[in-house]
Amino acid sequence: MSDDHTNKSRRRFLKTAGAGAIAVGFAGCSGGGGSSGSGSPSESGGGGSSGGTSTDTESGGSTGSTGGGRDRFKLGAVTSLSGDLRFGGGVTKRGYDLWADTVNQNGGIEVGGESYDVEIVYADAQSKPSSGADAASRMISSENVDAVLGPYSSNVTLAVCPIMEQNSMPHITGSAESPQIWQQGFEYSFGTIPTVSIIASETGEALLNLDPNAESVYITGVNEPFSKSTAEAMRTAAENAGVEVLDFQLFPRGADYANVVSQAKSAGPDLHLHGGHIGSHVNLINAAEQFDYSPNGFMMHYGVNTGSYKDGAGAGAAHTFGATVWLPSADRSGGVLFDSPSAYADAAQAAYGSAPDYTQAGSTAAGIVFQEAFKELGSAPPLSQDDKDELISVLEGIEVNTFYGDVRFETEGEYYHNNINTTSLLIQLAEDGSPNIVGPEDQAVGEATYPIPSWSER
Amino acid sequence: MVETGLLIQTIVNGLLLGGIYVTVGVGFSLAFGVLEVVDFAVGEYVMLGAILGGLAAPLLGSEGVFVIPFVLVGFFVLGFFVQPLIHHVTTGDRPQPLLMGLVFTFGLATFFRGTVLTVLGPNNRDVPSSLLQGSLTVPSVGIFPYVRAATAVFGVVALAAFMYYLYNTKGGMAIRAIAEDRTNARLMGIKINRYQSIAYGSYAALTAAAGVFIGMVFTANPGMGLQYTAFAFFMVVLAGMGYLPGVILSGIVLGLTQSLTAVYASSQVVLLVLFALIYVVLLVSPAGILGKGEWAS
Repeated sequence: MSDDHTNKSRRRFLKTAGAGAIAVGFAGCSGGGGSSGSGSPSESGGGGSSGGTSTDTESGGSTGSTGGGRDRFKLGAVTSLSGDLRFGGGVTKRGYDLWADTVNQNGGIEVGGESYDVEIVYADAQSKPSSGADAASRMISSENVDAVLGPYSSNVTLAVCPIMEQNSMPHITGSAESPQIWQQGFEYSFGTIPTVSIIASETGEALLNLDPNAESVYITGVNEPFSKSTAEAMRTAAENAGVEVLDFQLFPRGADYANVVSQAKSAGPDLHLHGGHIGSHVNLINAAEQFDYSPNGFMMHYGVNTGSYKDGAGAGAAHTFGATVWLPSADRSGGVLFDSPSAYADAAQAAYGSAPDYTQAGSTAAGIVFQEAFKELGSAPPLSQDDKDELISVLEGIEVNTFYGDVRFETEGEYYHNNINTTSLLIQLAEDGSPNIVGPEDQAVGEATYPIPSWSER
Repeated sequence: MVETGLLIQTIVNGLLLGGIYVTVGVGFSLAFGVLEVVDFAVGEYVMLGAILGGLAAPLLGSEGVFVIPFVLVGFFVLGFFVQPLIHHVTTGDRPQPLLMGLVFTFGLATFFRGTVLTVLGPNNRDVPSSLLQGSLTVPSVGIFPYVRAATAVFGVVALAAFMYYLYNTKGGMAIRAIAEDRTNARLMGIKINRYQSIAYGSYAALTAAAGVFIGMVFTANPGMGLQYTAFAFFMVVLAGMGYLPGVILSGIVLGLTQSLTAVYASSQVVLLVLFALIYVVLLVSPAGILGKGEWAS
């Protein structure tokens, strides 16, 4: 073989290898990212917890459209399949897909004596509100869907809801928590996860009821919509319980928690409550350990039961209190499609090889609510606009028992069309990092370690 | 009324934070001074070091400190081979070498971050260290967490070592000659490619090692780099572009400003105050606080 030929081959090989490596590298920034640490789902406005390390899958009924007179219900789903929120978007997609797969395996949705399968078509919100709105518009105009399952994260949901209003399209989101969504009073949008102000308030109350009752709290939060709402809800819970709020501080993402901790330690509260994203939880706990700041307990909403928090905080994660609305060990009645939370967890584990979190569960619950609403509506697919309008009335009156909890949507007030009926759970991490439900009393499956041991006693 | 204990602890926190910034600023200042490359990838070297600390520490008895020698060697080699690429795009007949360097290192940063995100995912990672666990409490002064103190000491020692190398060795003299005038240095027989690679390799090694320390102080995650890129820029502007001895002072000024502003004004205005500080320094003394760097232009 000639030298010239060898050189050309080597050059071609190097070019190919280089191009491949560059593609791998840039994939993470353009679409292969994900979130949960510093670019976490909640950092963009809250979207529920997303732990574990599973990747996105392509299972489920997302095949092509069948056009008019079809023999299946066709739902659109807008979620982030690329960009910073890809990880959370994937969790949401798994929730929707697991619902669709299970419905189809069980013979479909029975309406008027006929059974109809479910098909989901996806639109990529690319982790950006504007892209989410564009994707939703395109999907509605081109796919002739009967209803839409909502996007991941509150910010994207806030951009997508107006599109649903403009198109009079029934829409249930399984993973958005900002109170702003429901305060807007969107007629066509519903949500299965209670707003963060409810979750933080209820779990905060459960924490303040632990013995010995806290007399003072120090509240901090990251100054972003989701985290700020969380911290404010914690403050309201403390004030309602007659507990003194020694300080309420909001600070930007990336602040040095040495100063936060030094100030808090100087104030000497019984409890430290924090609203933020997982990265901020980790930084707060690490700084507390370094500066030997030991109140009776730390509570972070949300995400303490995620792998990202446990991996980031290491041994310091033990004993942290947190909030969630669902765990596989939660005492929920079960109901449509899955008999119990543990049955759902087993199904999710079998399908995706990872434990589901409350975002995934809430997303599956959103599908179940549509399933029951379709039955109650009694119209065969495809739904006409009159059917869709009627579906809104059905959703407003529906009550569904699910593995996730009882779903019933508010029909007035600041939580308009939000399901605020699912009980929030106070959890605490054990030494090994596993979450235990410790409140409220009627849901607790174990005793809280409270006051938590000081850093020197661990 | 200002509580004395909190004030002193805030000053301690500021000094320790400044020490952490010094670890990043030293290498960046070296790269700028010698190679005239404004390296957008500086924060990503910090991130890579921290992530590797998180991955390797469990294999080395859960001790992040033991990872540092491997990171120093590994990143020196990486930097040594990356530098010729930077040299390639910033020389020759290209019209705007500074811009080319910026664009190339920006791409490098994106590539590093993307690779980590794709391969490892977005989660936080703990960089454990039992050697640096705990803190020293000095009565009437405050608490000194060992890990933060060690990070600050590392930065100062690294700076001293670089200064010694630059001003007391033949290789250091060659690097300074290159920084002074690349063409004349080449005419004097200095192998500028090799020394530039040594300088960039040293910068990458030091910055990644700083990343291991920073991972131990905070945590490691793929998105952490950008913050350190911004602070590295703050550091060199305050220190005086390319003026290494100014790095300690600029680190202290940045750390103290950040801490005191957060505690006695508001955490919300920390970045505003820092930007205002940089703006004033650029207006009043474009060659840095000590007036000994290159003019920012």
